[in-house]
Amino acid sequence: MSAIQTSAPAATPAARRGRLTYLGGRILEYLGVLFVALTLNFLLPRALPGGPLKLFGSPESLARLTAEERAQIATEYGFGDPIHLQFLDYLKSVVTLDLGTSLSDGREVTAAIADALPWTLLLVGTSIVATTLIGITLGVIGGMRRREGKGAFTLIGAIVVDSIPQFWLAMLLIVWFGVKWQIAPTFGATGPDGTTVAGLAEHLVLPVATLTITGIGYIFMYTRSSMLSVLTSEPVQHAHARGIPRGRLVRRHVLRPALLPVHTLIMLDIGFLAAGAIVVETVFAYPGLGRLTFGAIAARDYPLMQGTFLVLTLMVVLMNLLADLTYPLLDPRARTGANQ
Amino acid sequence: MSAPATSPPVVARDRRRDLLGRQGRVGAVLLSLIVGTAAYGFFILPDDAGKARVGLPYERPSGANPLGTDDLGRDLLDQLLVGAGTSLTLAFIVAAVTTVLAAVIGGLAGIGPRWLSSIIMRGIDVMLVLPELVLFILAATFLGQSFGIRAAILAVILWPVPARVLRAAVLTTWSRAHVEAARAMGAGQSWLLARHASYLLGPLLVPVFVRTAMRVIIYDATLSFLGLGDPTVPSWGTTLYWVQVNGVFLSDAWLWWAGPPGVAITLTVVSLALIGTSIEDRLNPNLQESR
Amino acid sequence: MTLSVQDVTVTYGGKVAVDHVDLEVADGEVVAVVGESGCGKTSLARALLGLLPSNAEVSGRGVLRSNRHPDLDLGALTDWRGIRGRRIGIVPQGAMSGLSPIHRIEAQLREMLTLHGGNSEPTDLLERVGLSAGELGSYAHQLSGGQRQRVAIALTLAGDPDLLIADEPTTGLDAVVQGKILKLISSLGISTLIVSHDLTGLLPYADRIAVMYAGRLAEVVPVAALQQGRHHPYTAGLLAATPSTNRTIPWASIPGSAPAIGDLPEGCRFAPRCPIAVDECHTVRPPLRVLGDSEVACHRMDVASNATYPAVPRATSACGTPVLTMTGIHHTYRSRSRTTTALDGVDLDVGRGEIIGLVGESGSGKSTLARIALGLIRPTQGRVSLGDDEVTGARSRRLRSLQRRVGFVHQDPYDSLHPGMKVWSLIAEPLVIARVARGERDAKVRAALASAGLPESLLDRFPGQLSGGQRQRVSIARALVNDPELVVADEASSMLDVSTRGGIATTLRSVATERGLAVVFVTHDMGEAIQSCDRIVVLRHGKVVDKGDCAQISTSPEHEYTAQLLAASHH
Repeated sequence: MSAIQTSAPAATPAARRGRLTYLGGRILEYLGVLFVALTLNFLLPRALPGGPLKLFGSPESLARLTAEERAQIATEYGFGDPIHLQFLDYLKSVVTLDLGTSLSDGREVTAAIADALPWTLLLVGTSIVATTLIGITLGVIGGMRRREGKGAFTLIGAIVVDSIPQFWLAMLLIVWFGVKWQIAPTFGATGPDGTTVAGLAEHLVLPVATLTITGIGYIFMYTRSSMLSVLTSEPVQHAHARGIPRGRLVRRHVLRPALLPVHTLIMLDIGFLAAGAIVVETVFAYPGLGRLTFGAIAARDYPLMQGTFLVLTLMVVLMNLLADLTYPLLDPRARTGANQ
Repeated sequence: MSAPATSPPVVARDRRRDLLGRQGRVGAVLLSLIVGTAAYGFFILPDDAGKARVGLPYERPSGANPLGTDDLGRDLLDQLLVGAGTSLTLAFIVAAVTTVLAAVIGGLAGIGPRWLSSIIMRGIDVMLVLPELVLFILAATFLGQSFGIRAAILAVILWPVPARVLRAAVLTTWSRAHVEAARAMGAGQSWLLARHASYLLGPLLVPVFVRTAMRVIIYDATLSFLGLGDPTVPSWGTTLYWVQVNGVFLSDAWLWWAGPPGVAITLTVVSLALIGTSIEDRLNPNLQESR
Repeated sequence: MTLSVQDVTVTYGGKVAVDHVDLEVADGEVVAVVGESGCGKTSLARALLGLLPSNAEVSGRGVLRSNRHPDLDLGALTDWRGIRGRRIGIVPQGAMSGLSPIHRIEAQLREMLTLHGGNSEPTDLLERVGLSAGELGSYAHQLSGGQRQRVAIALTLAGDPDLLIADEPTTGLDAVVQGKILKLISSLGISTLIVSHDLTGLLPYADRIAVMYAGRLAEVVPVAALQQGRHHPYTAGLLAATPSTNRTIPWASIPGSAPAIGDLPEGCRFAPRCPIAVDECHTVRPPLRVLGDSEVACHRMDVASNATYPAVPRATSACGTPVLTMTGIHHTYRSRSRTTTALDGVDLDVGRGEIIGLVGESGSGKSTLARIALGLIRPTQGRVSLGDDEVTGARSRRLRSLQRRVGFVHQDPYDSLHPGMKVWSLIAEPLVIARVARGERDAKVRAALASAGLPESLLDRFPGQLSGGQRQRVSIARALVNDPELVVADEASSMLDVSTRGGIATTLRSVATERGLAVVFVTHDMGEAIQSCDRIVVLRHGKVVDKGDCAQISTSPEHEYTAQLLAASHH
């Protein structure tokens, strides 16, 4: 800091330009990452064993074709072409959402994913809401308590809960709540009456419980430590010294700065959760994207694999971008490009 | 003009040396118990423990088989003990490899030339976008399920996260005053690393190692549970796989069959977590000292 | 009488930080509590605000009086609601000012007004502190350090307090800004207690000064009486230890360092460092006695005017051949969004046995220039030579061998020494790097240690066991051990207590004279530079605005900025 300078309000054209270039830069970065991911996705099936035609049929059905028929398919679908043309074709197909046909059941990959995705979103969405509410509340309380010297047990509890393997917890919940006490159904997403709200809710109970219980530990610890660092920060100490009462101090001066990093964490978590739900969806036979992916890999269903992989990657990139875009809305320091 | 000798305050030599608090010590004790169990399983038990049929299938716990037997008459307690060895060996080997990889790559990204640093960071960004579990499943399905392959895949997929952390730590280290002073003295990179950086970064490697080991244990158990583990070697995840496949949780047997392996996994991860968090807690204020 | 502090003692786990202190602040009076690290001034301030940590024990009374409220015993308070912010206001430490980073200025002001029931509008408060209403919509990070501090003061005024307590209100602010903030505080007309380490800086703005040493009051004196009359030897030492920009007034330093909190000597606590101490001083504690307008705690007031301290010597010989030559140095930093010019066409040269002062405020580029001289940064343009050898073109091995001819004293005594190495190893490190034969190392280490003014008993200690001044001397010894041609001292004394800074400058001067070393002395304090250097170069925003002989610069500076710096450096 040199001699007194006039402050720079956020509305100057220079500042706006600066923000836009920053945003533009971030979007470009993500497009770059997406591009590389797409390239990997493109190369993935080609790198796996089985020859290029594996994208069109199972090994058994392929074996039944003659050599000429195979060559014919190859030229038709452009396998003879140089690799960069194939790549462009692939990109075109991605943009037009023509992701091929599933080898397992002949459905359009896009249709299969479109069927599965909402279930995953429902599952993941519900558990994120539950995890966030519980985890953050406990974390805020834990952070405040720690200042007064209590709360070591909750921390140990969080560590223990965070260490429980998801699949094992899923099994235990099935044993207790599904089989023994018959409280909730243990598989599928809908009951025999079809898509009723009650049926949906019932079938969500155990899977969401599993995801939530194994997820709150981390959110709790992260929130708690963020609270601690804000509570001991200078602005809060001084606000306290200026006579701001405890309740107001926490509400106006502690919560928002403490929860900012947690917000970013949660946004990123959502992105990864679709893939992370594979285990839960498999154990509970929940018809979501995770189960679809796992099934595709197990069945060597290359087109479906490629499609689900793409969607999973896209979700992560999207949530990353969203996290970056929403952060400045919450933190004024990021808004005006402060360099301190 | 010389300053007279004043008696300096008796200050403890660098309180950071006490890296484990009470929490960390509990974790360390727990971990050594588990390691002891694994060693017992490795050295004392016969080679076919957990694989040989020693009784009738589906037997309840008894004197001969304290945890009962599985669907093929194999002793479940033996499987638990041998499984400890399997999981821990894999966890520690992968953690060691990953830590080295993360340190080298993260270090290069920190002090190397700009272009190298950029490439590495972009590479890490891309790798972080790809879903880990899916990649593991893919690798296990197509590349095989032997120990070596599993270890390699785990290390390859797990190094980016700690590499980023270590790069940030390297950047902080490089701006510390005593490192800058040594550079001004004409010290070469090797001296800086050996004398100064190792002191500051060395302790950081422990949480990296511990956290990686935790993730390996959980991921490996998950993969085995999904049927993608090594079916020839008893492990906690594989035991649970057979639980799932045989629908064991529809009967009473879940208690002694599905319970112990899950508890074992949880306890191992908890012990590592206790060690990891207590070290991180103690290291953090030190990292911030550099302003 | 607004504030009456009676026999206040603060202890931390049995160790006394504030020892039976009595103090009064009259209506509208500004009292400065001055002292160096560990004197207890901060603990005293916090005790009055009820902000001590839980392991602290307080005894004594602090009575707050006003004609608007009943008397209040601060020591007996358990519920501070309605007191903090409303009856006592706090002005925090300078740089960050404890403002909320996520609320606009207007919102923060309104919050304080609503809370403490003030009648004013936010605009009025801003006016009182010299800011325009245009800043209402800004966030804290958009303001400069000085502006933030003004806002912090405005927040304090919102509650219309009877007493202001300011804890080091100018820390981190540039010299010129410091004066303005202090002027503002003293012009508010509210009874104020300012806690600071900067005695001379407060003289124009305070009414009375209370000097604290090792937990006790050494002297309480009206400012008017401070320039003449007899004083406590410590006060005299503090005054003499502030470098004046007038070269006829010598710059002194007090030998030794303040005692640590658990290790307090018997009798008068200043006795171990006092030039006129006698046996009685080491055994009997001197009470605070009235002496004219002041109160002084000293046994030896009859001979107090004999208290003199060693002064920093000046150059004795003319300067020799050029050691460091820097020509046309340009340096720009490139980051993602912008390019900053740190240095713009700077020339610098130093000769043997000469100390050159590089003076500038933060952001002037002086640290960058120092690092370029050390070979740590390669300038985007320009040439640096050490003797006949060019530094700028050199790479790796060649560069490192050149660096071994230059010594570096870093600003931070706490971070520049590896905490796990003993003093001997720390000093010997350059020798190890330069592969000096093992047999020769010990002798060189001991010689360097002696030149730096340290006793050999320290060789076996770890840095954690040394005081700030001792650590900095270890740094100096380390810089000297390999017989360098040049030493770069980057703000070597800015993190040390005022009373010990002169000692560092003295050591550098004697080393320059004895060994014919060239020294680059980087500082932001014009007074220090004028007192301890031969020539001065003044930097501003990366450009040289003034250069010349010390004597010439102090009496007739060419550039207006230099004149500003001189004025701000308090006489």
